Amino acid sequence: MSTWLPGVTEGSSADTAGLGAVLGLRPDLYEPFREFYAVFWRDRLVDPVVLELCRLRVAQLLGCATELRVRYEPAVAAGFTEAMAVELSRWPTSDRFNPAHRAALAFAEQFVIDPKGIRGQVRDELRAHFVLPEVVAITEALALFDGFIRFRMILGVGGAPDTTTVDPTALDSPLP
Amino acid sequence: MNPVADDDAISGSVLAEQPEALLRFLELYGTLWSHGRLPQSVKEVARLRNARVTDCAYCRSVRFEGAVDDGLTEDRVVRIDDDYASADELTTREKVAIRFTDHFLGDPGAMTDADRAQLLEHFDTGELVELAAGVALFMGFSKIAVALGPPPEMPVTVVPTPDWPPQP
Repeated sequence: MSTWLPGVTEGSSADTAGLGAVLGLRPDLYEPFREFYAVFWRDRLVDPVVLELCRLRVAQLLGCATELRVRYEPAVAAGFTEAMAVELSRWPTSDRFNPAHRAALAFAEQFVIDPKGIRGQVRDELRAHFVLPEVVAITEALALFDGFIRFRMILGVGGAPDTTTVDPTALDSPLP
Repeated sequence: MNPVADDDAISGSVLAEQPEALLRFLELYGTLWSHGRLPQSVKEVARLRNARVTDCAYCRSVRFEGAVDDGLTEDRVVRIDDDYASADELTTREKVAIRFTDHFLGDPGAMTDADRAQLLEHFDTGELVELAAGVALFMGFSKIAVALGPPPEMPVTVVPTPDWPPQP
């Protein structure tokens, strides 16, 4: 994928210009976006593994290959493994995932597909495994993932050709 | 005349359970709305299109003051419907923004070269980044409102445009 927008940041080719290069065309928006995006990991508003599983599942549902090649360091440090990534689409039955992971992933899928359907068991399971501030953090993070993975897709934002691990809290490093 | 609400529904919502995240969101959202390059009426058209598609009752009922001042009157808002393409009340730029919003919400990877050419005809690169970032936030936070428990139906209400730093 390569961006079709003219004027990509100097030094980046259209093929490799990542989210930082494209959203960075508007530094007035990119800087507060980075601060907002970072807070979920920097302040550990919820288990980073849960966030990472949700982010990658959203990317799978939307079909965004470039997002699927990104890994976040706080999640890896907290126990996220490549085996989880491999088995993510089989989360309901895979023993890689614990009940809290499954509750968050069911919520994430419903959030992307039809948030009006977040009722009954999906909501109850989430509340059984996460306190209210964590539910809010997961929901806000999903809003960012869903929104900015679509941003990546519609503007043709590229990225690294191979799996790349980055720290979303390192504000001086552009997001791939 | 619609009432102008003086409360901040976002700050008073369940999002206050995460005050640092809320603060960072308000900074981004206020910057986008009040310090952007796109006219507020264009962003408001995209926001209301998203509200309609995502079916967020709160988002559908709210109007931002800046967009109303910018000329987005209710007789224009009602044309953000299925037949928007034939609406004389909407500008070509607004119609292109609606079409972009529909692609974003429906299948963001499915735009054609003709769609992209039309966007570049009506918006510069920085404006397109702003429009895409705006729709990402409009959609995401509409979904939050729906997912965490939709507020009751409310009348059309004009509220202050988000700004950063917040205006007293």
